[in-house]
This record gives sequence, C-alpha cells and structure tokens, in this order.
Amino acid sequence: MNLYEHTIVARQDTSPAQLKQLEEKYSKIVEKNQGNIVKLENWGLMNLSYLIKKNKKGNYIHFKIKANGKILSELEKNEKIDKNLLRFLTVKVKKFDLETDYFNKNDDKEVEKYQKYKYEKKK
Amino acid sequence: MKKRNNKKKNTQSNFSKLSIFQNQKYKFKKKCPLSGKEAPVVDYKNIKLLKRYLSENGKILPSRITSVSQKKQRELSLSIKRARNLALI
Repeated sequence: MNLYEHTIVARQDTSPAQLKQLEEKYSKIVEKNQGNIVKLENWGLMNLSYLIKKNKKGNYIHFKIKANGKILSELEKNEKIDKNLLRFLTVKVKKFDLETDYFNKNDDKEVEKYQKYKYEKKK
Repeated sequence: MKKRNNKKKNTQSNFSKLSIFQNQKYKFKKKCPLSGKEAPVVDYKNIKLLKRYLSENGKILPSRITSVSQKKQRELSLSIKRARNLALI
C-alpha cells in the first residue's frame, strides 16, 4: 500500500450535484478495490491561469488515497474518458500533511499571519 | 555616495531580479532560503512560495539568482511543473 495525492480539475459549468457525483464515483472505485480514502478536500471554483478547453475556471477536488498502484491506474483510465474533467494529477508521497490547507479561503489571512510569524522568527 | 544610492533605487524595475545591475541583497545572499530547519515545505500546492521563484513571465528563475541549493532547486522545478499542469500557476 502506498500513499497518493490525487487532484481532479472539473469543468466550470458543472453543477454542485454533478460534482458530488464525481466525488462519489471516484471514491467508489477506490473503495471497491480495497483502497482507503484518508481525506477528501474540495478546493472549490478557482481561476485557471490559462485556458483549458475554453474554460476560464475549474472546480478542484483533492483526494488523499492509501491504495495500491493498480487502483490509481484504474482511476486514471476512467478519468481520461470522463468529459467533465479537464486535468488530473497523481503524486506519490511518503507522508501526508493533513494540517495545512493551502486553498481554504477563510484561512487565507491566518496562513499569511503564520508565514509572517515564521519569517520574523528566522530574522 | 548619496547620489549613487538614489540611482540604485531608481533602477529597480520589474526586471530587477534578472538584471545585471541588481541589488546587492540578491547577489550576495549565501544561504539557501529553502534548506535548514525552519524552511518552508516545497510543494505543488504551496503557490505563494512557488511564485517567489518565478519571473514575471512565469519562467523558473535560475538558482544563481535566487541562491537556492541544487537539491532544493530540483524539487522546486518539479513542483512548479506540477502546478503548471493543474493550471495553478
């Protein structure tokens, strides 16, 4: 069993219900094959830095998965076909950091504060 | 001396990071800002950190300008490329 971080970018015009379907669909694939989803993050609608298939924005969903490598290739096979998705990315990691949320908008100021605090400490 | 100082301030354009007549701060920083105990984690999700090491046009800055160590520069370029793929940068 390995640890993977998996991110999906969905089209901008997908409805919230459809997004939930996507989440369920892919988490089912993992769980059917004896995988385990440690954490599911919804980063929400964000601006893309460049156009992808005429989309300016994208819905980001982030999985933290503990599973075998075969399941991930199975996931990607399904995602390649899916028309609602723009991009996906899998990264194999040694450890999950479950504490820091880089894309939580409410905590954005707190993150900045924390970074400033760190920076001042270094000085 | 005063005149010189004034000149230096004026020459800080948008390309100050890349110009030859750069600030002394950039040139003679010896330590790598990303290694050490309290250094921030290089990760493709940490966009704010990654943006510090990009030029205005989105190119990766060379380590001779940013004084990042070889090992960390490799990590940086990998995570920048990952973030580019997800259209985060």
